[in-house]
Amino acid sequence: MATTEAEEAAKRVQYPLDSSSYKLLNEIGAGVSAVVYKALCIPMNSTAVAIKSIDLDRSRLDLDDVRREAKTLSLLSHPNILKAHCSFTVDRRLWVVMPFMAAGSLQSIISHSFPNGLIEPCIAVVLKDSLNALSYLHAQGHLHRDIKAGNILVDSNGQVKLADFGVSASIYESTCSSLKFTDVAGTPYWMAPEVIHSHTGYSFKADIWSFGITALELAHGRPPLSHLPPSKSMMLKITKRFRFSDFDKYRKGNGKKFSKAFKDMVASCLDQDPSKRPTADKLLKHPFFKNCKGSECLVKNVLQGLPSVEKRYKESKVCSVHEDGEKGGDNDGDGDDDDPSVQGKQRRISGWNFNEEGLELEPVFPNDEVKEVRFGGETVVQQTGEHVVNREGMLATLNVLKGSLEQELWQVKFLVSTIQGEETHHQVQVVGGDHSEEQEISRLRAELENERRKNTQLELQLHTCKLHLSSLSTSK
Amino acid sequence: MKGLFKSKPRTPADVVRHTRDLLLVVDRTTETRESKREEKMAELYKNIRELKCILYGNSESEPVSDACAQLTQEFFKENTLRLIIKCLPKLNLEARKDATQVVANLQRQQVQFKLIASDYLEKNLDLMDILIVGYENTDMALHYGAMLRECIRHQIVAKYVLNSPRMKKFFDYIQLPNFDIAADAAATFKELLTRHKSTVAEFLSKNYEWFFAEYNTKLLESSNYITRRQAVKLLGDILLDRSNSAVMTQYVSSRDNLRILMNLLRESSKSIQIEAFHVFKLFAANQRKPADIVGILVANKSKILRLLEDFKIDKEDEQFEADKAQVMKEIEAL
Repeated sequence: MATTEAEEAAKRVQYPLDSSSYKLLNEIGAGVSAVVYKALCIPMNSTAVAIKSIDLDRSRLDLDDVRREAKTLSLLSHPNILKAHCSFTVDRRLWVVMPFMAAGSLQSIISHSFPNGLIEPCIAVVLKDSLNALSYLHAQGHLHRDIKAGNILVDSNGQVKLADFGVSASIYESTCSSLKFTDVAGTPYWMAPEVIHSHTGYSFKADIWSFGITALELAHGRPPLSHLPPSKSMMLKITKRFRFSDFDKYRKGNGKKFSKAFKDMVASCLDQDPSKRPTADKLLKHPFFKNCKGSECLVKNVLQGLPSVEKRYKESKVCSVHEDGEKGGDNDGDGDDDDPSVQGKQRRISGWNFNEEGLELEPVFPNDEVKEVRFGGETVVQQTGEHVVNREGMLATLNVLKGSLEQELWQVKFLVSTIQGEETHHQVQVVGGDHSEEQEISRLRAELENERRKNTQLELQLHTCKLHLSSLSTSK
Repeated sequence: MKGLFKSKPRTPADVVRHTRDLLLVVDRTTETRESKREEKMAELYKNIRELKCILYGNSESEPVSDACAQLTQEFFKENTLRLIIKCLPKLNLEARKDATQVVANLQRQQVQFKLIASDYLEKNLDLMDILIVGYENTDMALHYGAMLRECIRHQIVAKYVLNSPRMKKFFDYIQLPNFDIAADAAATFKELLTRHKSTVAEFLSKNYEWFFAEYNTKLLESSNYITRRQAVKLLGDILLDRSNSAVMTQYVSSRDNLRILMNLLRESSKSIQIEAFHVFKLFAANQRKPADIVGILVANKSKILRLLEDFKIDKEDEQFEADKAQVMKEIEAL
């Protein structure tokens, strides 16, 4: 009780509500319509703060969503949740002033200094604090809906806070009476199967799934499947065609051993059946968290020698610019936000099988199911850093792809020679292909790209149909 | 200890009675010993949380309608709501949130097909005054605001608030510097002016002069981007509602209003432009335009046509294109 009273007293400290009281220092994060700065609050002894500046004039930004997020943030009070000091508008932008978390997000920490993941005692500290936050959120009737290392922040003293409620929703504000949501939000790698198949609706247990994926992310240095670069749905589609299991051979095992308790804890979160996953409260009592160390464990093992969050962000940005140059044509909508594919990124994962022994997830790809994933909110994290670490992995992936494409080319050749003359233009291509396999590969790529476009269109249509249906059913 | 002496589980009505007793203690208390007070507070928090659990269920169980009905009946039998509203500032943050959710839920509970919350509020309308003024208190605004928004679901309550002298204050609340509070006030303001059609129509025709004078100067011509954007959107919603057709006709016959909308149409913000267009089209579509409106439109004919010509929105919208073509035709014919 004493801590909450003290926190409330702290809450009453009113931060100034005008932009002139703050001095912006560096950019430390960016998303589609928001930028995060490190800043100083001058009238308050130049306390360091983080300011999330959201562009309100973007046509797709729903003001009601922004209002809900602001309200959620100002009414939450928990030591493991990043609150907002205040928020106010500055011309067309909304400034949300928050405490500055000096060590940044765990995603940024891992991608910079721990590409193979953290040690188990540190994982336990991070997960336990996040779970405390989640338990509080759920008790309040809120879903977080975007749990991942990129949304778990660390302060210089090792304190862990869950952040970014851009897509969080409250069941108390939902108009439908049931404790379920049907609109899709979140980040694909971390999303629970029932969220991807959102017709069944989802509830608190979807957060538990994402929590399990986050555990894997902390343990391996990346979420499952992420050795395929993020936001490249084309890659996933190719892997669907050439079977995912091919990649296992190329995955470098880092030889890490994890405790039985840890594996068991993660496995329980990643149960296909949401009702079998434990609640956050129940999970807190899991043996894995029993002898959990304090935040000094993070300070000693993780934070020491870590470059500042500003510096890491700058580095990752340089890399991402480089990356953008390489991406060329098959950019899946990372940059231009008017591209409809930003809203409609797609992933084709029908389910996951958790391999408890290897502490890994194996995705199951369906043949025909297509699902659209809408990004309801803003994620402002230093995600670009991942590319640096994964470059080697990506190269391996590309090599496998090339091999697979070559194999397919051979099959096509064989087919064509069997059914001679039926598709003359195809034959010509194959003859030409003798000169350069690369040409053939790029042709296949273009074909895939076309397929992808068609798919996107179909998915958008599907989505529109669904919207019509749901509006019809609600109007009844 | 507890398990040993607990004879039988408390009924929902028991929990309400217990909560009420504790609220009475908290309300009266001026001093008493700190430890004693804290004990009572803790007990109160526990009871409010239990009320919430009965009404909303929890992760293990869904709410039971019978229990909800019992709770609702007992709650409104006496002045529990007044006590909660009065004591809210004395509670801690978590209990405030719980209490707010309880009050919100109770507004929708039916007992034998009747919304008894509405009957209670009809006799206690002065409670709304406390809730409205709550917007002036940074710590209480979001709690009282959420309660207020739930209460105005009842037509009788919305009517009271619309016609109360405090209605004018909303024009200031919407522009409070704290974004979360200002946005909450804006949501309540919108609810008041859109939810109960007949009440709104009656209010607007009776209060046309002062209401739109304030609306134009304080909101549509505000220096605050977000205020202008929300205001022009809401104006469109109000005027396009069939039940407000008389008000709409009056609004689009004024040259001052036209001037304001034409300025908004020229803003650099696309969002504002689009919303402004939806109001501007009403001026153009009016088949009985007063002479001075025609005069302004004719004087600015080429400029307006050029602006509309270049006016494109990101996604395809047949309705918008059709509206635009119609407006351009109307203006061209003048």
